[in-house]
Amino acid sequence: MKAKKVMALVLAGILTVSAFAGCGENGDPKESGSKSVSENGTVELEVWNCNTGFLPCEKDSELYNFYKELTGVGIIQPYVEWNGGSNYQQQLNLKISAGEMPDLFLPVNGMEADLIKNGALLDLTDILPEKAPHLWESVPEEVWDIVRSYDPTGEGRIYGVPNVRGFTVYSGLIRQDWLDALDLEMPTTQDEFVEVLRAFKEDDPNGNGMADEIPTGGREEAKWMDHLFAMYGLAMQEGAPDWDIYDGELTYAGVTENMKDALQFIRGLYEEGLLDPETLLNDKAGWEGKINSDRVGVCYHWAESATAFSEAMKTATGTEPDWAVLPAISAPGYESFYTTKQVTGLEWVVKNTEDEAVIDAVMKVLDAYGNPDLWDDFYYGIEGMHSEKVNGKLQKKADDKGTQQNLIINPANSLADLEFKVEMFKDMEAADESRTWALDQAIRDLEEVQQYGKVVAGDGMPSSVYEGYPDILNRTLYVEYASKIITGEYDIDKFDEFVEKWYASGGEEVTKAAREWYAKTQ
Amino acid sequence: MKVRESVNDRIFRLVITFILVVLAIITLIPLLTVLALSFSSKAAADMNIVNLRPVGFTFASWKYILSNREIWKSFFLTVVATVSGVLLALMITSMMAYPLSKKEFKAAKILMVAALITMVFKAPIVPYFLTVKSIGLFNHPLVLVLPQILTAYNMIIMRSFFQQFPLEVEEAAMIDGAGRFRLFYQIVIPSSKAVLATVGLFYGVTIWNQFQHPMMFIQDTDLFPLQMKIRQLIGDGSELQTLASMAGINYSDRTLQAAVVVFAILPIIIVYPFLQKYFAKGAMLGSVKG
Amino acid sequence: MAEKLSAVRQSRGRSSESWGHNIKKYWPYYLMVLPGFIYFIIFKFIPMLGSVIAFEDYNIIGGIFNSEWVGLKHFRALFTYEDFHRILRNTMILGFCKTILIFPIPVILSLMLNEVRGLKLKKAIQTAIYIPYFLSWVIVGGLIFDLFGIGGLFNNVRNALGMESILVMQKESWFRPIFVLSSIWKDAGWGTVVYMAAMSGIDPSLYESAAMDGASRFQRMRHITFPLLIPTIITLFLLNIGNFLELGFDQVFNLQTPMTYSVSDIFDTYVYRVGIQQAQYSFTTAVGLFQSVVGLALVLIFNKLSQKTSEGGLW
Repeated sequence: MKAKKVMALVLAGILTVSAFAGCGENGDPKESGSKSVSENGTVELEVWNCNTGFLPCEKDSELYNFYKELTGVGIIQPYVEWNGGSNYQQQLNLKISAGEMPDLFLPVNGMEADLIKNGALLDLTDILPEKAPHLWESVPEEVWDIVRSYDPTGEGRIYGVPNVRGFTVYSGLIRQDWLDALDLEMPTTQDEFVEVLRAFKEDDPNGNGMADEIPTGGREEAKWMDHLFAMYGLAMQEGAPDWDIYDGELTYAGVTENMKDALQFIRGLYEEGLLDPETLLNDKAGWEGKINSDRVGVCYHWAESATAFSEAMKTATGTEPDWAVLPAISAPGYESFYTTKQVTGLEWVVKNTEDEAVIDAVMKVLDAYGNPDLWDDFYYGIEGMHSEKVNGKLQKKADDKGTQQNLIINPANSLADLEFKVEMFKDMEAADESRTWALDQAIRDLEEVQQYGKVVAGDGMPSSVYEGYPDILNRTLYVEYASKIITGEYDIDKFDEFVEKWYASGGEEVTKAAREWYAKTQ
Repeated sequence: MKVRESVNDRIFRLVITFILVVLAIITLIPLLTVLALSFSSKAAADMNIVNLRPVGFTFASWKYILSNREIWKSFFLTVVATVSGVLLALMITSMMAYPLSKKEFKAAKILMVAALITMVFKAPIVPYFLTVKSIGLFNHPLVLVLPQILTAYNMIIMRSFFQQFPLEVEEAAMIDGAGRFRLFYQIVIPSSKAVLATVGLFYGVTIWNQFQHPMMFIQDTDLFPLQMKIRQLIGDGSELQTLASMAGINYSDRTLQAAVVVFAILPIIIVYPFLQKYFAKGAMLGSVKG
Repeated sequence: MAEKLSAVRQSRGRSSESWGHNIKKYWPYYLMVLPGFIYFIIFKFIPMLGSVIAFEDYNIIGGIFNSEWVGLKHFRALFTYEDFHRILRNTMILGFCKTILIFPIPVILSLMLNEVRGLKLKKAIQTAIYIPYFLSWVIVGGLIFDLFGIGGLFNNVRNALGMESILVMQKESWFRPIFVLSSIWKDAGWGTVVYMAAMSGIDPSLYESAAMDGASRFQRMRHITFPLLIPTIITLFLLNIGNFLELGFDQVFNLQTPMTYSVSDIFDTYVYRVGIQQAQYSFTTAVGLFQSVVGLALVLIFNKLSQKTSEGGLW
């Protein structure tokens, strides 16, 4: 019987060794994928990108064939849960540590820096202009310069394809129909704006006889209320302070005097009841629930959301609202703008390989992705699955995660320009005239908000500048102080304490790194 | 033989019963709001106005969920994984717990310490992934079962029950000539239904509700267990809403989520009362004596 | 017969016995633990060896063997983190709440359930109180925010009593009570399962004879049921104390707001924030090791204590 135990130990030993051998093999990033060429000569690529719940793309599936026709390449896309990007990031890291990096993928949270340092990504500098000319042309030269600044070795090589958004997408939105109902003008100064909010609160613009109106507000962590911060010339995206030039130098907007004044102003609105008292507790469902129930006067979102908000409210309450652009209103002594960032990180990076066939295949995919003639095809997907013909025009069908495969190549959201976007809305109008009233709002707002947009100096800054300082990246300190100042729990003077703490807890180093990066892009 | 209940005892019992009933109702209220949301219209969910009763009553969400064939596929896969997982788990766990409850087993102490270490120290995720992948479990159906069939926590609970097993019974059986194996599966196991039911329930619920392991190890949608399938269908609810016409659709991500949450809990609620008979007073002892 | 019995008894408790002898005599035991032992090796111990990355700057491309060895760097980083005291204090306070306020509730609930007479009623109550366990914290968090929001039940009651609405989710002083109450609401019912199973092992004749001696229901509960539950209570207590510093990320994360960070920021939420950034596996492993070492120490201490005071304990 001793033998049994000895056997067990031996078995365990073997398993130990084999498991570790498994780890050891993973060292070589250039381990060539022999799976890449299938029997009939089509090169197959494993591609990873954001998928919020649609079906994956297996070999010989409908979408596989669709993409093969468009790009000439077989695209395989496994199902990887996105979950705000965190699961995606983990799965990607696990696959990479197992030596199975996808051929073409979306890097998240600045992970490209480490990969480049380790030589795991393909240097695209020379091959892109030659082999993917459409993409090379579609991305403006100055954006490629920003991408060059991502190279941690400082040599200015291009290791990825940026996510480009060449126009202002966010906007303050105001209920034009409420203004009309109360016979008010669109506000242009801060005083007028506050007067409008007061009127919204007191004069029953929704006409239901109850004082249930919420003049304005936002969401937890002081997100989605950028229209108020914008009055003080603050660079900010979805509630996260960004980087811009203050006092002549690139600075984190969260620690500027502008921010102090903005918080003072917002705190006043909160005290007066002009800001939703639950602003700092609202989740997405909570805040949009208020918007959809005809109670909110001014909010901040994507300009094109005017359509979605309007249609949702119509079904819910029967009222047809008119969500118009709230102009960027300047507080006294400040110049207001809506923050625009043209580059929001990288959309694609390529696994380093010496296999010419694979490189060519990747370039074919990227060239098709950058080809404006194909953007419509990528957007509408497969007729019957993602879209259908209405009045002779292709129309997107409503999302159905039970039947639709994930359109992983999506230039409409990561590359296309304003013109393409507006065209999309016009197509929808042509197909269904009953939606014109709502779709028109988005078209109008998209075009109107452009005049208020300003590209901030921190545009395209890689998140690697935050390396080693997660609390600065996650703005933990900022959110805590800003929230407490807005609700009145902290005195406004506490802001100075925050600035001091912020610099002491890594802000100093991050600022230095950010300024070094900025110098490189100039 | 029954002694008549005194007045004080009766009051004592009724007060306790009353308190428990109130607690049970309070506990159920929040669940009702989830249930109500699952029967509410998209508009009501969009306005965030559903409380205890459905607003704009509709079966739309339930119809969508129940008519989805993929969900049922995942459902049956999960049933199979859970049943087989529980059987395997009870086998391996009880076989480890029993010897560890014996003082004369010399390796008991070392193994207890080892088990405790597995409970307190957790493996970092990357080495764990690489180990499990290297045994070939990536995208393999067994990954729904194997990583969940032995935990130190459940094993130690089972052991503490075995420790309380009356020695006289075992001794008597040994004197009758039963070997240690036969003693274990003919005497000890049949008399330990309460703890087997408890630990089996713990394992079953873990396997039923798991999504961490499938998320890490399964990319093939055909192998999705129920919770994974649910997460896929509910998705993230991206910030920017789809612009396709929503005419004729009376469910939203939130109502669907409410419906699948209820859908996934129901089987567990249905199974539990069947297990409760093993927890009846004196159930364990009765079977030993009998 | 009597000789045989004493022989069986004698074989117990002889720790001086040699290994070979013990294996030869009790080989079925060794065989029985074998599958579990192998299982632990494969699924627990081998991956656990990977914890060495806590002492490296782990790099997902290089792997364990090609990452730079940095010794105690990550532990130093943790202990010198400017908010280390805050997260340690918060974690310990919530840990104490869990041990002192939350842990005993299932025991009390089980003792109460044991007094309910009708079998159907008992089953119904049990099923009802254990359902919340199956809701995820994301859902429960949402329900709690609704409950305490404006127009939620809590503020409606306050308004009816003539009091102003308050938003307790953004008040520091309310976080810990909400943490405790939500834990009890969600998990206490489920926690009764083990105790109910333990009580099923109690000999009913004990109650009968006590009742005949004139013991009241409360006295029976106090002097029969409760003492018989103590071994189970001790076992569960020792199992739980090992996770003293791990409170469960989901609950705290879904209940906290920036306004309550100062009382709700704990190791797990900190690790999460750090983890959002790329390749922080080494640091997060270091934090995990710290939590585990503290947990193991607590188990060993309390195990000693319980051996001394009650003969119980894990070994």
